[in-house]
Amino acid sequence: MAGKAVQYTAAQIRDLGKENIPKELSGGHGLVYSSPATLAYNSPGAEGFGVKRAGLAVPESVMLIVAPGCCGRNTSIVSSMPQYKDRFFYLMMDETDLVTGRHLKRIPEAVCEVVSFLEGQKGKKPRVVMICITCVDALLGTDMERVCSACEKALGDGTRVRPSYMYALTREGRRPPMVHVRQTLYSLLEPMEKDPGSVNIIGNFAPLEDGELFKILTDAGVKHIRQISTCGTYDEFLKMASANFNIVTNPEVRAAAHDMSQRLGIPYIELTRIHDVARTSAQYKAFANAVGIDIDVSVEEAKAQEAVDSLKASFPDLTFNIGECLNADPFELALSLARYGFKVDEIYGTLAPEKFKYVSRLAELSPDTKIFCNMEPTMLYYDVSASRAHISLGKDAAFYCPGIPNIAWNSDIQPFGFQGITKLMETVHQTMKEARA
Amino acid sequence: MKGLRKVLTPFAPDQSGASSVLYGLGGLIVIIDAGGCTGNICGFDEPRWQDERSAVFSAGLRDMDAILGRDKLLVSKIADACKKIDASFVALIGTPVPATIATDYKALKRMLEKEISLPILTVATDGMRLYDEGEAMAYKALADGFISKDGSLGKITLGKTPLTYGAGFEDQTLEDYRNIGPSTKITAASASGIEAAEKIGLPYEIFSSAAADAAEKIPSGKVLVCHDEVFGKTLRDKGIDCDIATFFTLHDEIKREGDKKITEEDEFTDLAVNGGYDVIIADECLKPLAEGFRGQWIDAPFFALSGRR
Repeated sequence: MAGKAVQYTAAQIRDLGKENIPKELSGGHGLVYSSPATLAYNSPGAEGFGVKRAGLAVPESVMLIVAPGCCGRNTSIVSSMPQYKDRFFYLMMDETDLVTGRHLKRIPEAVCEVVSFLEGQKGKKPRVVMICITCVDALLGTDMERVCSACEKALGDGTRVRPSYMYALTREGRRPPMVHVRQTLYSLLEPMEKDPGSVNIIGNFAPLEDGELFKILTDAGVKHIRQISTCGTYDEFLKMASANFNIVTNPEVRAAAHDMSQRLGIPYIELTRIHDVARTSAQYKAFANAVGIDIDVSVEEAKAQEAVDSLKASFPDLTFNIGECLNADPFELALSLARYGFKVDEIYGTLAPEKFKYVSRLAELSPDTKIFCNMEPTMLYYDVSASRAHISLGKDAAFYCPGIPNIAWNSDIQPFGFQGITKLMETVHQTMKEARA
Repeated sequence: MKGLRKVLTPFAPDQSGASSVLYGLGGLIVIIDAGGCTGNICGFDEPRWQDERSAVFSAGLRDMDAILGRDKLLVSKIADACKKIDASFVALIGTPVPATIATDYKALKRMLEKEISLPILTVATDGMRLYDEGEAMAYKALADGFISKDGSLGKITLGKTPLTYGAGFEDQTLEDYRNIGPSTKITAASASGIEAAEKIGLPYEIFSSAAADAAEKIPSGKVLVCHDEVFGKTLRDKGIDCDIATFFTLHDEIKREGDKKITEEDEFTDLAVNGGYDVIIADECLKPLAEGFRGQWIDAPFFALSGRR
C-alpha cells in the first residue's frame, strides 16, 4: 500500500452502495492529511469565513478570543484586512487557567477594558462583543451563556455580549461550529413588526452576487432584500427581524433559520447551489410555486445554456479535476459537467453518504472518474502525472495539479443560480483560451 | 490587564516550534489535535509546507475521543498510517486538547512501541507556551532519541528555523543529528539552539547570521533590540551597545543589566517610550505599541511575532 494514494472509481463506489462507502473516502476514521482543504476546514480562522470572521459578520461588533495563544495565531491573516482592523482582541490562557478555570472570572474585566479602549482611543464603541472560545473550554464544560451575562452586567450599557464557539472537536457533531455561529449571530435579532415587502437571504457571510435571484424578488414586489453582509449598521441588521420570509442558501444556516421561524415567526425556504441548467430552472419553478409568485428567468437560463454550449464548442473534450475547496459541491459539479458532455478525471472530496446520489449518477456517465479523499493520509503520495485533466477547479485541486490551469472558484462573494453557471463556464472558457494561446 | 492583547496577535506557539524542528526529517508527525492546531502549523507557521510535502497529520480528535480518553483509538490510527506511509520515526506533538485531558505521553509511547517498530518521539507541548520552548522540547526529544556525540559531522546550526529566521532558515537531516561528534562545529542560532547545544553537551558558539547582516546598518546611540536573544547578543559581539528585550527566553548567560524578558504589550510600550532609546531594532508589528517613540526604528522581521514573511 505504501507509496500510492487510495482511490476508487465512481463505478466502484456505485457498486459498493451507499451503506458501504470506503472509510478512506468518508474521512474521520484515521489520521488527517494536511491538504489545503483540511487545513482551511479544520482551522476556522485560516481563511474564508471560518468562525472568527463569521462571528464578526454583525455590523459594529468586535471579538475577544479567549483561548491558548495557538488558537489565535493565524488570526493575523484576517486582522490585516482593513475591515477587521481593531476588531480582534485576545485574552491569552495559560496553564494555570487550564487547571483552575480562573480565566472565566477575568473575562468581564477584559471585555470592559476592550470596550473602554475602543471608546477612548478609537472613538468607536461596539454594539456587540463576541467571545470566541475554543476546544479547551469545550472540554472544561464552560457555561458561556452565564459568562456573557456577567459581561453584559459588567458593561451595564446595553452592549450585547454573545458566545462564539470555535470547537474543532465537534466538527462532525450535531451542531458543528459553523452551524452554531450562524445561530449565535441571528439570535441577536429581536421580534419586531413584519414587513411584507422584506426578505432575507441567509447562509453566507459575504453577499450573493447581484443576479437573477434579486431580479425575481424585486419583480415580485419585494422592497427590501437584506443579507447580513450588506447591513451597514447594527440597527440595519436588527431590521432583518421584520422579514416576511428567509431564503436559505447554505444548509449550515438551516438551524438558525429554524430558530428564527420559532422565535421570530419568519418561515424559510431553501435554495441549493447547483450547476445543471435544467435542475436550476426546476428549482426556481418550485420556489415560485412555494411563495406564490410568477417568475421569468428565460433570459438568464438561455444565457447559462449558451455559456455551456460555447465552452463545449470550443473545447469538446475538456477534462476536469475538481477539488472541494470551492464554492460548489464537487460531486454535484462533477455530475453537471459530465451531463454537459465534459470529462471529469478526478475528484478530491470527502464522500459523505448524502453525496452518494451524485456519484451513483456520475458512474453512469463517467464510470472511470477517480475519487480521492483530502483527509486520507496516503494523499501524501498523490501523483498528478497519472491524470489526463486539462484544468482543475478548487484551491485544493491546484495543490494537487500544479502543472495545469486552475480556477480557485472560492471568492467570498458568490454567484448563484444561472448566473453562477454562466460565470463558471465563461471563466473556464477564458482560462482555457489563455492557456492554449 | 495581564494576558490581554489589544494590538498584537498571538505569537508562534510551542507546538509550531516543535514541528519546525522536526519538519522534513522524514518522520511521521502527528499533531494530537482536532485539526485547528495542524491548520495553524501547516497553514501558517510552516512555510516549507507550501513547497514540499511532509508527513504532518492531525490526529483528528473528536469530542468523545477526548472525553473518553480513547488512546487505543489514537494508537490504532497511527499504526494504520504507519502501514501506508514510509517514515523513519513517529513524533507526537501535543496541543491544548491533550493538555486539558492530561494525556500520558509515556503511556502512549509504550502503547505505540508495541504496535510499530519505529522510534517514537513525544513532545508534550500545550499551545500555551511560546515557539522557542517547543523547539527546545523537540530538540530534547531528538537528543534523547537520535543525537549522537561521537560522529564526524563537520558543522551544524541549531535553532535556525523559519520561525526565527523566516526565509533564511536552515534545514537539517536526521543523518546530521546522528552524526554529531566532538569535532562538529555547533552554532546556536537562537534561544532554542542554546537549549539544544546545552543538551548535547558539546562546545558551541552563539551566533545569529541575521543580526550579523543587520549590524552594519545600525546608527550610534542608545539602542534597544527586541528580537530573539541571540540576535541581540550577536549585535553586541559586533560592537553594538544595545539592551535586549525579548518576549521569548532570555538565558542568564546572555542577560546583562538593562535587558528584560517581557510578556505584556504595556511592558514593551513602557520600554520603547520611556526607555530613552535613540534606536529600536524590532519587527514593525510592534510599532503601534510605541506611538510616543521619537527615535529611529529599524525593522527586523521576526516571523514568530508578526507572521510576516
